[in-house]
Amino acid sequence: MLRRLLRDPLVHFLGLGALLFGIYALVGPSRPAGDRIVITQASIADMTRQQATLDGRPVTKDELAALIENRVREEVFYREGLKMGLDRNDLVIERRVRQKYELIAEEDDAAEPSESDLEAYLRSHPERFRQPPIVAFTQIVIPADATGKTSPESLALLRKRLEAGADPLSIGQATQLPLRVDGMPLDLVARAFGGPFAESLLAIPVGSWQGPVASSYGAHFVRLDRRTLKPTPQLQDMRSEVQREWENARRERTRAERFARLRKQYRIVVETPAG
Amino acid sequence: MTTFNRIGLTALLMGASLLALGACNNATMKTSVAEAPSEVKATVYPETAYFGDTHVHTGWSADAGQDGAVTSPEDAFRLASGEEVTSNTGQKVKLNRPMDWMVITDHSDAMGTINEIRAGNPEMISDPFLNRMYEGLKSGDPQVMRPLLGELVDRQSNGNLPRQMMDPKWAISAWKKTIEIADRYNKPGRFTALIGFEWTVNAGGGDNLHRNIIFRDDATRAGQVLPLTTFQTMDPEKLWAYMAAYEAKTGGRMLAIPHNGNLSNGRMFEETRFDGAPMTPEYAAGRQKWERLYEVTQMKGQSESHPLMSPADEFADWDRWDRGNLNGAPKKPDSVRTEYWREALKSGLRLEGNLGANPFKYGANGGTDTHTGLSTFEEDNFWGKLKSVEPRKGRWEPVIVGRAGATGYRGWEQAAAGATGVWAIANTREAIWDAMQRRETFATTGTRLTIRFFGGYDFNAADAGARLVKAGYAKGVPMGADLKAPPTGKAPTFLIAAMKDPAGANLDRAQVIKGWVDAAGVAHEKIFDVAWSGGRKPGPDGKIPAVGNTVDLKTAKYTNTIGAPELSTVWKDPEFDARQRAVYYVRVLEIPTPRWTNYDEIKYGYQMPAYVTRIHQERGFTSPIWYSPV
Repeated sequence: MLRRLLRDPLVHFLGLGALLFGIYALVGPSRPAGDRIVITQASIADMTRQQATLDGRPVTKDELAALIENRVREEVFYREGLKMGLDRNDLVIERRVRQKYELIAEEDDAAEPSESDLEAYLRSHPERFRQPPIVAFTQIVIPADATGKTSPESLALLRKRLEAGADPLSIGQATQLPLRVDGMPLDLVARAFGGPFAESLLAIPVGSWQGPVASSYGAHFVRLDRRTLKPTPQLQDMRSEVQREWENARRERTRAERFARLRKQYRIVVETPAG
Repeated sequence: MTTFNRIGLTALLMGASLLALGACNNATMKTSVAEAPSEVKATVYPETAYFGDTHVHTGWSADAGQDGAVTSPEDAFRLASGEEVTSNTGQKVKLNRPMDWMVITDHSDAMGTINEIRAGNPEMISDPFLNRMYEGLKSGDPQVMRPLLGELVDRQSNGNLPRQMMDPKWAISAWKKTIEIADRYNKPGRFTALIGFEWTVNAGGGDNLHRNIIFRDDATRAGQVLPLTTFQTMDPEKLWAYMAAYEAKTGGRMLAIPHNGNLSNGRMFEETRFDGAPMTPEYAAGRQKWERLYEVTQMKGQSESHPLMSPADEFADWDRWDRGNLNGAPKKPDSVRTEYWREALKSGLRLEGNLGANPFKYGANGGTDTHTGLSTFEEDNFWGKLKSVEPRKGRWEPVIVGRAGATGYRGWEQAAAGATGVWAIANTREAIWDAMQRRETFATTGTRLTIRFFGGYDFNAADAGARLVKAGYAKGVPMGADLKAPPTGKAPTFLIAAMKDPAGANLDRAQVIKGWVDAAGVAHEKIFDVAWSGGRKPGPDGKIPAVGNTVDLKTAKYTNTIGAPELSTVWKDPEFDARQRAVYYVRVLEIPTPRWTNYDEIKYGYQMPAYVTRIHQERGFTSPIWYSPV
């Protein structure tokens, strides 16, 4: 067992490391006195302000001294840790640093797009900015017969009464769905009534009672009062939205380009996986 | 936020300590894109329930980033508003249905070097480049700053940064960026992007006492403060002081929502102050003033009810995570008594009797607490709590929270939950926030069913018809409010209505859950079935029998051949005693449907072990209505 351990390359590596560490401790350069830690006025002011906000009263002399001492303690240990290389081979720290890097790098993208950049983006992505039609309609849920189904005869009768101007509420089954929807984009109709119902509103004629139109709440009679198709959007109508999309596209592009560029600065060696 | 391990927590605290040095005004940031003047029309009454998530971490949260999440707040808002984005594992993801609003609650680190440069720290500006930055910052002119930032990035990628800047304190303020992104994605009437952050207290080694803080305001106001960190304080009373200071300084508004307490090992609703001292009237009043809602359902299980306290409630045992805290420290048997909402609502009545104010006057809230930037609560489109459990074969198995072994929680235990429905007069920051502040909210396990709940003394059956909303507000108070004093001899009546999710399952039943305190100060609860589908008759135990089950596990499909699309009723409390404090809330259950685990089995063509839950009854809970004797 011992023999096998002594032949293990990992043990050799660790042993050698311990030896070097010991030698370094004995003969290595002694620490230059005078590594400076500066607790600046600005950071003291900030600490004081924040603590005062939390306590709802001014910070005492002793408390401030303790805050400052705590900052010093953190900075000392932090620097000592860095000297020992404790930031290396630590996935947590590496990922955090990567995040910070990417955050800073994104500031590179601060230039504002020109008017023609935005025009071009809008023209090349018309589907993304197209506005849904606006609809206004009145609807009721068709009451079911005793059998649970509604016969063609009673459907025809109900439609006739509606077209003759009967109060829709007196005919419809009780529901929490709104009787009238007064000008709503079709996608929001879908959120309230479900997608299939909203799609039906694109197919039925305007101005007369139509049905049955199915939703997941039941069968409806619907009178579409208005259906306005929105014209192709113009930049002045949605400038902030186009700019946001343009900036997002740039963000994604430059992020990929930046990585490709930086990666080239390294010679990347991938060893063959062991075993 | 989940702390995965000690190192994660340490890193977080390190970040927080740097945050304390952060800048408050950062002239280097892009100015927000101004929104066009809002043309959003408000309704007279809150007519629409707007659905969203109050609890979203992106890759910018330290622990999410450590798990490998790379999504930004931008990605999170894009997904929620209906765009397709790329997940942390490189998959394309899009919601079946967009949300109406969302809050991002990252921990935002903002660090000090920029502040030092601005302050003209001699060590900094001895470098010519940094001296130019100092002058640029002083000028406050973005035209001057932009080329400098470009130069900065160039220098950085060429390894040519000034020595002073190699100081690891350097970072651009993530907070500033977060709030500006929220402003850019806020689109009144269509999608509300609220500003928020999470204050992440893991007391005593993983006892989860987190609070999500939500702003009513835009970046102009929110940018005048930095998020409070646990490095500064872990005491909620200090949090409330921070919130009050923000409001006084900016004229803005903030509210807090405690994280679900099921992993707090008994601390969320302990009946003391944070330092263990007895509660005071000021403490109770402060908690009620600043903490308006409580998270009853999320991906890490529910904190609504527990079978130990509610043995007579056959629906109390669901999405249960009660084996230990965030770090896997096991619970004492009694811990659950001070972790769950229903019990806290009852305790609050008792404490109000002693203190004159109710410290636990919480409305209902649901959020995901995703750490992927991908807020998903759809069972058939569930992207998991962490990058490591994004959709893939086998994601049911790994331990994702706590320690490996008996107390660890595995992938399959995640709930594809939760969401909050908000009854608001418009889909704007102001209207959504105001409704949360009024507690006019209900929590769901991710389904978009809606629930109405009004309390008064004169509701009759006709009020449950077409003019329900008008009757509700005219003759009573909505969820989240207090019942007025009763006319002599009258018992409260409640107007209750529920509607199924337009793309979801039918409803099984609506119930009123009542809590009260008797003359001896002992708290009780009782559950009343008030409306149900299919003309079922109560059994010998007085309960409505189960609704049945249509789920086919081989296809992950169900049918709406059972249950009802809508339920409504007027209910009068048959046991009302005007001398007793009481609290009422409504629970609505859907018919059984497949859980995300079953959808996964079908999608990936394999079977999880038999003990994995595959069928559930999704549900919603309203904020309570309270009654106190005069």
